[in-house]
Amino acid sequence: MSDILQNHAKRKKRNQLLSAYALVLPAFIVVLLIVAYPIVNSVIRSFTVRGQEGFTLANYVYFFTEPRELANILYTLFVVVVTSVLSTVFAYALALYLRFVKSRVSLLIGRLYLIPRFIPGMVAIYAVIVTIRDTGVISRLALLLFGVEFQPALMFNTAGLLTMNLWFNIPFSAMLISAALAGIPDSMIESARDVGAGRLCVFRTMIVPMSIKDVMVAATFVFMGNVGGFTTPYLIMGSVQPKMLGISLFDQFAKYADMERAAAVSVIMFLICSVSAVVYIYSNLKERAWEKQ
Amino acid sequence: MAEITTNIKPKLRIIDMTKRYKNGDGVEHINLDVYPGELVTMLGPSGCGKTTILRTIGGFLDIDDGDITIDGQSIALLSPEKRPTAMVFQSYNLWPHMSIYENLAFGMKLRKVPKEQMNQQILEMLKMVGMIGSEKKFPSQLSGGQQQRIAIARSLLLKPEVLLLDEPFSALDAKIRVQMREELIRIQQELGITVVFVTHDQEEAMAISHRIVVMNKGVFEQVGTPIEIYDHPVTRFVADFIGEMNFMETPDGIRAVRPESLSLSRGSQGDLHGHIRTIMVLGHYAEVNVQCGDAVIKCNVQRDQMAGWAVGDEVSLSYTKEQFFATETVE
Repeated sequence: MSDILQNHAKRKKRNQLLSAYALVLPAFIVVLLIVAYPIVNSVIRSFTVRGQEGFTLANYVYFFTEPRELANILYTLFVVVVTSVLSTVFAYALALYLRFVKSRVSLLIGRLYLIPRFIPGMVAIYAVIVTIRDTGVISRLALLLFGVEFQPALMFNTAGLLTMNLWFNIPFSAMLISAALAGIPDSMIESARDVGAGRLCVFRTMIVPMSIKDVMVAATFVFMGNVGGFTTPYLIMGSVQPKMLGISLFDQFAKYADMERAAAVSVIMFLICSVSAVVYIYSNLKERAWEKQ
Repeated sequence: MAEITTNIKPKLRIIDMTKRYKNGDGVEHINLDVYPGELVTMLGPSGCGKTTILRTIGGFLDIDDGDITIDGQSIALLSPEKRPTAMVFQSYNLWPHMSIYENLAFGMKLRKVPKEQMNQQILEMLKMVGMIGSEKKFPSQLSGGQQQRIAIARSLLLKPEVLLLDEPFSALDAKIRVQMREELIRIQQELGITVVFVTHDQEEAMAISHRIVVMNKGVFEQVGTPIEIYDHPVTRFVADFIGEMNFMETPDGIRAVRPESLSLSRGSQGDLHGHIRTIMVLGHYAEVNVQCGDAVIKCNVQRDQMAGWAVGDEVSLSYTKEQFFATETVE
């Protein structure tokens, strides 16, 4: 009898395993075909030059020594780091406000702040452009209402690009951080107040340690999302130098049709992303002592 | 209690206190004196306002009217961190990212207690709650009961004038709960600390309290020692909420008799007559349900007195103690 039962259990387990593989397989094949293969292909291609045989570092030498291209890389890093830091700081402040201030205003903001997530990117960018350009809504209102000639000077420069990036990323980060803050029970904070901690002390000793992981995750998401940003820089910056790498990639691919250099830009962007991917994986996988059961 | 304490000044006074929520719920005109070394329990069903009162003492809710004083000083306007109270919450709210030692040391560090003194006090407190050796562990590595011991230790280390406990044991297993009860009584007696305890568990309230405040719908139904409240409930709500009670309608009111006050006999000399519906033996006593007309009367009878009785037997019930609630006091 026990043999029969054991065989039955084995068969059942094998069937479960097979159906699990069957469910995973389609997604796996798609990933293999349209993600893994192109990546490998691009990496290989980035080490070649058109019309020449064999392996070469020429493309990378070009991007890292040509002052214009190097400036693009450094500019991209600058914009992405500033965007990540600012949107994380603003989003953290917003999320804290929404979590701990219970008022009509906070309730209203809590309902409104996700709206940007539902507006298609291009639409949003054009809307903002119409508002902030030197002949835009702000400028006209200033003239109309106060008789002042005011030009925001936010087009074709970094300030405008950062403004737009924050417009997109603050709600997103705030959403992630809000979820983390919602997971901190009131009684944790009340008990800290109870034993004598003031508000600032509660923030430093309770809220930050309990939410920092998700704050880091939000920051890395913003970082990674913006390394490959194209629409925003393209519409706000046009062809102003230095360029974001997304535009640089577009130029190599679409304007110059230089697939090898385009591949090299892609790999460079991927490497920049992988820095934050490491931070992300590290902060996610590192189980702090207190999280172990 | 009242005669003993008239000469002693109250530790905690709640004076004509009102706290209303936006939705209209809340408590109004609450008056309560708690004396030094006393353990007072606020007992009532959920939503009766007991936790509201506790939270106004702790400073987690602002009061709308009246005052709260400790040793004669008003604390009504102080924020929680400035009040000489310490609260133990229902959820084991140890800070998960801090070790047990850090949890215990946190409040003392804020008070700038010298390190040597702090270490020594933490060790003594861990000994008192039976948790020596857990200093380096994290809260998630402890059981619920252990976490609540640490939470109590954390509050006691700050030497509060009044210790507030908000259903501290209700998330624990029945067995641990009883054990924690006993330990709380021991610790309370050892330290002579003033305690306000909130619970919806009447057995727990009976077991630990010097005095019980029975609450219902934001109102004090009765304040008294456990024995007063059990033996002489002043309202039908109290009679019903504390222990088990049989209610018998009579033309001028309601007669209430506890199951253990009833005895069974054969013949017709008793106060009530009926026949036995069920007999359940529950250890040292048996619960006998007797059908008397439309009513079912519950009697708790010693096991040795159950010999010879069977379901269906005609029975006569007599009782020694009763409470009477005249019709006008019945809602």
